[in-house]
Amino acid sequence: MKPFFFGSSANPLYGVYHPPDGNLTRKEGVLLLSAFGQEYMRAHRAYRQLANLLNKKGFPVLRFDYRGTGDSAGELEDIVLDDWRADIDAAAEELRHTAQVQSVSVVGLRLGALMGAWASEKVDIDRLCLWDPVISGTCYEEELIAILGTEGPSETNHIDDKGTLHYNGFPLYQPFREALKRIDLRSEYPVANQILHVSSKNNTYDKALADVWQNQENYTYQYIDVPGNWTFVDEFGGILLPQPIIKFIVDWFSKESSE
Amino acid sequence: MKEIVVKIGKEPALTTIFSAPKNLDTNKPAVLIFNSGVMHHIGTCRISVTIARKLARSGILAARFDFSGIGDSTTRRGNLPFEQSSVEEIRQVMDYLEQKKGIRKFIVYGLCSGADAAYEIAKVEPRICGIIQIDAYCYRTPKWYIKHYGPRLINPGVWKRILLRLVGKANHTRSEGENIDDEYLEMPSYIRVFPPRNEVAKGLQQIIDNDVSIYSIFTGGMMYTMNYHGQFEDAFRDVDFKGRLKAEWYPELDHILTHVELQKKLPEYICRWVQENSDPTSQAT
Repeated sequence: MKPFFFGSSANPLYGVYHPPDGNLTRKEGVLLLSAFGQEYMRAHRAYRQLANLLNKKGFPVLRFDYRGTGDSAGELEDIVLDDWRADIDAAAEELRHTAQVQSVSVVGLRLGALMGAWASEKVDIDRLCLWDPVISGTCYEEELIAILGTEGPSETNHIDDKGTLHYNGFPLYQPFREALKRIDLRSEYPVANQILHVSSKNNTYDKALADVWQNQENYTYQYIDVPGNWTFVDEFGGILLPQPIIKFIVDWFSKESSE
Repeated sequence: MKEIVVKIGKEPALTTIFSAPKNLDTNKPAVLIFNSGVMHHIGTCRISVTIARKLARSGILAARFDFSGIGDSTTRRGNLPFEQSSVEEIRQVMDYLEQKKGIRKFIVYGLCSGADAAYEIAKVEPRICGIIQIDAYCYRTPKWYIKHYGPRLINPGVWKRILLRLVGKANHTRSEGENIDDEYLEMPSYIRVFPPRNEVAKGLQQIIDNDVSIYSIFTGGMMYTMNYHGQFEDAFRDVDFKGRLKAEWYPELDHILTHVELQKKLPEYICRWVQENSDPTSQAT
């Protein structure tokens, strides 16, 4: 596990490179794209574990923080969505260079899945795994606003007069929200050689996406019945470790890849 | 302000991010920022990053790091309890900064289990000159009971619920989180048990007698043990704080600091306190 900063000196990105174990080195690296907000906090351990297990199968892995999140430079209010796509591009390039791999595949969780699929138009992605994906910016907002509706606005969760959606301690600023709303996976099939959609949610969003994509030749949908409520937050910051999904993703990468 | 990441030590290797000011004054203390629970070093709602960068911009070096096995640090061998391993690992980071940068004084910051680690290190480490704790150990006082039970005694709804419970008709509603099996959830392995009050009073006195200043912030997430301004002082009336204690209570703030306005203000309060306590010749709050 090698933590480091990469990218431009003006906006350094924080990443952790996980080199593959032993002699088994694949020619394919795996880039992990994070979820957002408390979902990112809650998934940090799961991503570390996923990286370690992929290493054991010979894959070099890079996980990183987008600009304005985690340890990377910047504040969210200064970030536009295109910056995140540029960050994904920079991270993929970093992984190619550091691990000396021929191809880069991507795992994206929640908003990270939406970002990965969106970035695939411009970033060269071999295989794409979408884990509990946010299927569109509009659906993401619907999800969060539905929770605000149930619980009522509070000092923590509300939309302020500038249009910033505050949710469990993280802000989504108005320009960012608007840009997100322009992305909808149901109308934009990602560009990748293989696509895995793995879901712990048997909900309308995932079904809607699976229905639209089901006839694509390179698409696989897998529902796994484990807890996957990423938006829930407890008062102690407990984290979620859906082991069967992590194992499924590692197996999917391992079975389909040549050493 | 510049940030660098280093791994300190080999076994375990502690991932540490330094937020360094443009001009470092090694006579000023550095601030070490601890994990809370299993949350990695960015802190709840990224507050550790905000605090570290704010401190660096004001001329103070700040280091946020992961204890072994948490976040991006490797796992420690053996079975040393957190109370002991945390002290060893904090010293590992302090030694590094003393050797590489010549810094000899430190202020430590932590929330919840991080606050406990701050308390433990301050008892035994002479290089500590200040501790900042969010939701540190606190104890109920007679006034706590009055404030807690008083309003309930005159609330008919409470009596109704008691009666329903007595006749077995009360429903227990489970939250969503409670329905998740333990195997899929990782909660802090550190079980937070408050030591006996007298023990903590003794520890606090020891800390104060070592010329360490204390800034203790409490949130509404501690309602089960704190419910009024000034309770910390009441709970430790037998401790002579010698003017070195600043205690504040924000009932509207939750334990993981999601309150929008206070999220902005807390780093300001903390940086101000650090500045006030960074001059070796200055007296405490």
